[in-house]
Amino acid sequence: MARHPDEQRLELLQGTLDMLILRTLQWGAQHGHGIGQAIRAQSDDLLKVETGSLYPALHRLVKRGWLKAEWGVSEANQRARYYRLTAAGKAQLLRERDRWSQLVDAIGRVMNPAPATKE
Amino acid sequence: MRSRIPNSDELDEEIRGHLAISIRERIERGEDPESARLAALREFGNVALTRDSIRRVWLPRWFEEAAALGRDIRFALRALVGVKGLAATVVFTLALGIGANAAIFSVVRGVLLRPLVNRDEDRLIYIRQGRRDVENLNFSVAEIGDLKARVKSVAAFGDFSTLDFTLIGFGEPRLVKSGVVSGSFFEVMGLRPVLGRLLDRRDDGKNAEGAAVLTYRFWTTSLNSDPHVVGTKIRLGPTPATVVGVLEPSVPYPADTEIIANVVTSPHHLGATMETNRTHRMTELFGRLAPGASIEQARAELTAVHATMMREHPEAYSKKAPTELTVTKLRDQIAAPARVILLVLLATAAIVFVIACSNVANLILARSVRREGELAVRAALGAGSGALRRTLLAESLVLCGAGAMLGIALANPMVAVVSRYAARFSIRALDVHVDGSVLLVGVSLAIAAAILLAFVPRLPSSRAPAGLGLASGSVRITPGTKRRLRIFATTQIACSFMLLAGAGMLLATLVATQSAKTGYANSSHVLAIDIPGAALGVPLKNGLGFFSEVTRRIGELPGVEAASVGTVVPWRDADAFGNATPFSVEGYTPADGEEPPIGRVRVVGPRFFATLGVAVIEGREFTTDEHDPVAIISQSVAQRLFPNGEALNRHVSADPMMAKPTPRRIVGVVADVDDEHVVAQPTMAVYLPTHPLLSYGGRLFVRTSGDPYALVPAVTRIVRELAPDQPVERAATLADVRATVLAPDRVNAFVFSGFAGMALLIAVVGVASVLAFSVSARTREFGVRLAVGAAPRQLLARVLSEGVVIAAIGIGAGAVGGYALARVAGKLFGQVQLPGALPVIGATAMLLGAAVIASLTPAARAARVDVLQALRSE
Repeated sequence: MARHPDEQRLELLQGTLDMLILRTLQWGAQHGHGIGQAIRAQSDDLLKVETGSLYPALHRLVKRGWLKAEWGVSEANQRARYYRLTAAGKAQLLRERDRWSQLVDAIGRVMNPAPATKE
Repeated sequence: MRSRIPNSDELDEEIRGHLAISIRERIERGEDPESARLAALREFGNVALTRDSIRRVWLPRWFEEAAALGRDIRFALRALVGVKGLAATVVFTLALGIGANAAIFSVVRGVLLRPLVNRDEDRLIYIRQGRRDVENLNFSVAEIGDLKARVKSVAAFGDFSTLDFTLIGFGEPRLVKSGVVSGSFFEVMGLRPVLGRLLDRRDDGKNAEGAAVLTYRFWTTSLNSDPHVVGTKIRLGPTPATVVGVLEPSVPYPADTEIIANVVTSPHHLGATMETNRTHRMTELFGRLAPGASIEQARAELTAVHATMMREHPEAYSKKAPTELTVTKLRDQIAAPARVILLVLLATAAIVFVIACSNVANLILARSVRREGELAVRAALGAGSGALRRTLLAESLVLCGAGAMLGIALANPMVAVVSRYAARFSIRALDVHVDGSVLLVGVSLAIAAAILLAFVPRLPSSRAPAGLGLASGSVRITPGTKRRLRIFATTQIACSFMLLAGAGMLLATLVATQSAKTGYANSSHVLAIDIPGAALGVPLKNGLGFFSEVTRRIGELPGVEAASVGTVVPWRDADAFGNATPFSVEGYTPADGEEPPIGRVRVVGPRFFATLGVAVIEGREFTTDEHDPVAIISQSVAQRLFPNGEALNRHVSADPMMAKPTPRRIVGVVADVDDEHVVAQPTMAVYLPTHPLLSYGGRLFVRTSGDPYALVPAVTRIVRELAPDQPVERAATLADVRATVLAPDRVNAFVFSGFAGMALLIAVVGVASVLAFSVSARTREFGVRLAVGAAPRQLLARVLSEGVVIAAIGIGAGAVGGYALARVAGKLFGQVQLPGALPVIGATAMLLGAAVIASLTPAARAARVDVLQALRSE
């Protein structure tokens, strides 16, 4: 989580890109560019996904059966490949969300220990 | 649900789409088109790289590994070019091992495992009647009749008798090996004609026309595949016959016949003895299993019926030893003579492969010790043990792959040699060809070797301090490596010892047989020629007078010293007349329970012993002028039955054709000659002068001072003047007859010596490379030794003795292993001969000598070490 001084951006934590993609697609099918833009917008420009990582990740998720890809036409009449969550993908998203919140919780406890005397 | 793998057009289109959307968004935000395009491209990054990483997502997992192995192989190739000598040695050694194995395996497969061409060949059985003292008694017509009538598990029987006929109709009159069969034979055997038809039921019986089928080999080799041969009128002995067809290529069994004819062509088969006499056995029997019957059922039923037959006709079966029936699958029966020799060959080839592998392991081990520095660096840079193994595997794969390719190339000529050799034992070996299975064997052996070799070297351990290996790029030999090197070298020596001792044994036996005294003086000047009768039981035209006239005329030819006639060409006609005729002599009564004397009764003409160079010890030999019944006996008979040396003028009664022979006066005693065995044994023999037996065909013998073979045309002319249709066959000197009989022994010795030589060569390379490596790794040690005052000669002796110690341990191990192997083989195949002292000593001396020679170069290098350089080298 090194902070680049020149760009106020965060590098993605290893292994979280898949989860972000699945989460982004929860609202419906989207093409690669759209997914990248959505992650960026949702994170208030803090997270930027490199195309060189995004597309291999998308194909990997398709290969695993969590996404389904089909050709479609964008609002601007451009042919693009749209990705959609499959049932297995939805289940995976739930699993990853649970794991993520456990992780955040665990790391949070270590970093900010609760006061020893409560109540 | 599996997703479809996107093709590269789709990938391109997806990326183009991404860029287009990105550019449009920028333009909508107000950028000008050109800078929007550049920004989109910049943001996207390296398009080709992205496309590659997407594509890699879809590649299977093993592909990554294979790609890594491919990189390693390229690296290995470059590295091996640097050590050409080593690479060449390894490749060649492996090629020898793989080639020998592949060649012998294809012959084994072709001879022992390949199905016959016969229809449903696994339903074909071969039935044999035998006794402990006579391997194959054959069957009589009466016996076959009983079996046919009573056995239900065999659907049909085919009978076959081997006969020699004079064949007239295809060029020169000649003798052909023929089979006489009944109409069911070809149906039972499941064979088809390539031309015309085969023999069937209509060819049976006394009134059928004579009909003959040519074998494929006879048709192609003697008749140039004449397409109009069907319908040709020929004569088989005295009987006219018509060629009705040509048989498809098939394995001839029981004899390598050229013509197969129906029963009517053999006068003998039509005779009363053949039909009714239960002991007149001359027919081989084949059968086809009834549907649903197994060979075990057939065997049980045949044996039971046979036992009943023997109870019903006790007079027809010997009391001495039980007569037994054996039932085998035809294919196994045909392969049987070749089985043991081929399995021995296969074992030998396997030993050569073990030697080759040990040698290669040695070379690779030595090399990988040199690579230890490199491997340590790789390990330090994060290569796991799998990756290190893969690096090593790549190199051994390259070496073994090249070895396999060369080996398969070598297998082709080797198959030709081995199959010609194996054809002496099974005719099937003749049409063995290299096929895909050789490739399979070669490749699997190479892969086995490569994997083995990759696991031989020690990997730099992650726990051991790697600093040492990393710091000095030089070789450090560890005790473990050294021990392994020696184990491999010892294995090679041990295996080579076994092969050398085995080959030595064969050679010693061969030398002993070839140099054994035969009793025939100057046998390369004696020509033997067959003058066969036209067919079994058909007398020659002019009967007995024919031979006296022929020998008289031959005796007048220039250069001829003597000419005579007999019934048996030594060694060539062994077993043809039997060697066990009981006889009796005047004044000798066998003690109670003692069997009467048994000997070979031979019919010989006047001057026979002078012609063959056999010494007459007492009395005289037969002359052209014998009127009284006379006989000559061999020295063994004289010594055993007339111990007081008074044999001459006593009487002997012997005749294979008469139950009560007339007593004959003994006029001579001749030296023992053994016409059955190539290594002479004491022989009881009684010789009779001209006898009716001779009128059914005989053997001419001519002793000449000149070239014996130059006489053949003249002899043929003389014979044809008296009998125009008479075949004159198989002219050969006695020396050549003996050489022909010994040929299989010679080829055996040759083949195994070849293997042993190959093994010796590989072992020498192995010992030399172990020592060379050990010397080069110990340069520093030698430097120190020289520096503290060791003489170069001492270093030389030290290295030499190392080589000799390896050889000695190997020889010891080989002797123990070989003995154990012989014991195991003895259990499997019955009797196994162990090499005598001479071959063992010879093999030992050869290996020690080879070890010394192999150690010389490294030893000399050790002695020449430059002290200063050696000390500075690390």
